[in-house]
Amino acid sequence: MSTETEMGSGRTRGVFDRLRASPFLSDLLSNRLALAGLVIVFGMTAIAIYARLFIDLEAISLTQFGANPPRAAPGWWAELFGGGATAATGGLLEHPFGTDGQARDIFPRVLYGAWYAMLYGTITVGVSTIAGVGLGIVAAYFGDVTDNVVMRTMDVLLAFPSLLLALALVAIFPDGLGLWRAVAALTLVYTPRFARVIRGAALAVLEDEYVDATVALGATDPRVIVRHILPNCLAPITVQSTLNFGLAIIDLAALSFLGFGAPTGTPSWGLMLSNGVEQGLLTGQWWWSFFPGLFLAVTVLGFNLLGDGMRDALDPRMREAID
Amino acid sequence: MVSLRFVAKRLLLLVPVLFGVATLVFAILQLSPGNPARAIAGQRASEEFVRQIERELGLNDPIWVQYGRFLVEVVQFDLGQSYTIQRDTAVSTILRNKLPITLELALYGQLIGILLGIPFGIISAVKQDTITDHLTRVGALSGISVPIFWSGPLVILLFAQILGWLPTSGRIDAQRFAIEGITGLITVDTFVQGVQATLESGFAVSHFGPFFSAVSHMILPAATIGIYSMALISRMMRSSMLEVIRQDYIRTARAKGQGAKITLLKHGLRNALIPVITVIGIQFGSLLGGAVLTETVFGIGGIGTLLVEAIKVGDYPVVQGTVLVFAFLFTLVNLGVDITYSALDPRIQQ
Repeated sequence: MSTETEMGSGRTRGVFDRLRASPFLSDLLSNRLALAGLVIVFGMTAIAIYARLFIDLEAISLTQFGANPPRAAPGWWAELFGGGATAATGGLLEHPFGTDGQARDIFPRVLYGAWYAMLYGTITVGVSTIAGVGLGIVAAYFGDVTDNVVMRTMDVLLAFPSLLLALALVAIFPDGLGLWRAVAALTLVYTPRFARVIRGAALAVLEDEYVDATVALGATDPRVIVRHILPNCLAPITVQSTLNFGLAIIDLAALSFLGFGAPTGTPSWGLMLSNGVEQGLLTGQWWWSFFPGLFLAVTVLGFNLLGDGMRDALDPRMREAID
Repeated sequence: MVSLRFVAKRLLLLVPVLFGVATLVFAILQLSPGNPARAIAGQRASEEFVRQIERELGLNDPIWVQYGRFLVEVVQFDLGQSYTIQRDTAVSTILRNKLPITLELALYGQLIGILLGIPFGIISAVKQDTITDHLTRVGALSGISVPIFWSGPLVILLFAQILGWLPTSGRIDAQRFAIEGITGLITVDTFVQGVQATLESGFAVSHFGPFFSAVSHMILPAATIGIYSMALISRMMRSSMLEVIRQDYIRTARAKGQGAKITLLKHGLRNALIPVITVIGIQFGSLLGGAVLTETVFGIGGIGTLLVEAIKVGDYPVVQGTVLVFAFLFTLVNLGVDITYSALDPRIQQ
């Protein structure tokens, strides 16, 4: 709470000073692992934006027979270990990640995968955060019947293992929606997690006397919620979103991997992995599934490192331990 | 001890959740595209035949009548008949055959996770802020971040393709041994088979051939799931242990002159394990989700691959039954965790 009062009284100070004074940020930035996570997340975002702006989606989605050999090993691998008949011939940096069964260069496809992961991850986490925060705060604020109805519904959704519920929900939506049906299913699966955490945080804020004071002064319900409860729940919301971002990216890829996400030919990591495993793994073309999986794992690791660091920085018990 | 009242209360609280679960599954089925009667009759069946099946299944009844019938059937464990996957077979029969396969995989995975995760967590906590600790923590975070459908293919590549130590997929060397048995847990069944053969005709290693084959097929998939579970457990074990070893009673025990190791195991571990048990229970759900992916990667025909196939071909009773059973299992495990938790820490019951 001390962060909030400082920020409130420090309107005149520069933004930078305020950021530096925040124990949360200084803790976060002094945590090397969290910093590494931050670098990974920023790096992947940069790759995603670069891919969206400068890589031609049409060109990397079409089969490239003629231009490239199919299933060619990465150039450097072929130079070092030999790639047999399917080896690329253009030196070390030719097809750094190899080519797939359609003779497509895997490297730009993996880069473009970052765009899909980030975009659909953001939408999934964003929508479920907004829905979960809304439901959680409303349940905590109005209590009684509202609380029971909302939270018991959330309990039912939480009674399913998450990937299985997502799979069952995916069955409802028509195939034509592609990745959007995975996004819709996962949004429903993730919302209760946010609702539960935010309800707890909001209940804690409601205990504070300043809420009683604002109500006594005649503030309306929406005003109390938006001006007082929401800002004080921002910390758990941020941590929860960051940790779930990693999970969302994995689950989106998992649905694509199982065939319920990205349509055929899309350069999404999950789909590339699935093709690589199905067609390339047992015939020795490891690169086909290796690189999409590597990018996926590194991205998720980045979000987990960052989220973990945030949680530690926000936990007052951990702060004592650090001091 | 756990009071009976506490258990009864938890069981009662379970009823609305299970009711909600059944309702949600019914809703999913109702919202799914496609006409079940058409799916059963086949694409080329006459319109009249489809109508007849609709009447037999009661698909023209008002929705609340269908809902009531569904609830009554679910309570009786009647989950309907499969449309396409195993035509006209009761879904409950299919699930009974497939469930042990998935449970066995999940249990071995869980076992690996517990056996490795708890020691790693303790070591990490005791050696806090040393290189060992940092490596264990980064290792654990990586274990959570690496998707099963990537680590699975990687271990296949390394141990099956390159080193050739273990088989790539399946549950047993099907060309040499037939799968038969009562429990459906293949390692148990083949072991019993071996023991029976030994009792009949004396010991021979060949009697246990199927057992060794089954075990060697189990190692890679179980390890793949186990890595994930190990990562979660060791993380929780570490933070829980760190909290416990700062407590006064640990200092008291040490001050009495008790050795560090005994204090750690007797006073530290016992208290630190409580939250870890919760994590073990909670993540059993993600383990079941992980089983879907692991079964797909390793070509194991359990309940996970069944669900994926059922969704692909639109066999909705199978989808419905599978999801219901998974939710039911998950809820039961959570109940078990709650009860264990309160037995370990009686304060919870109040």
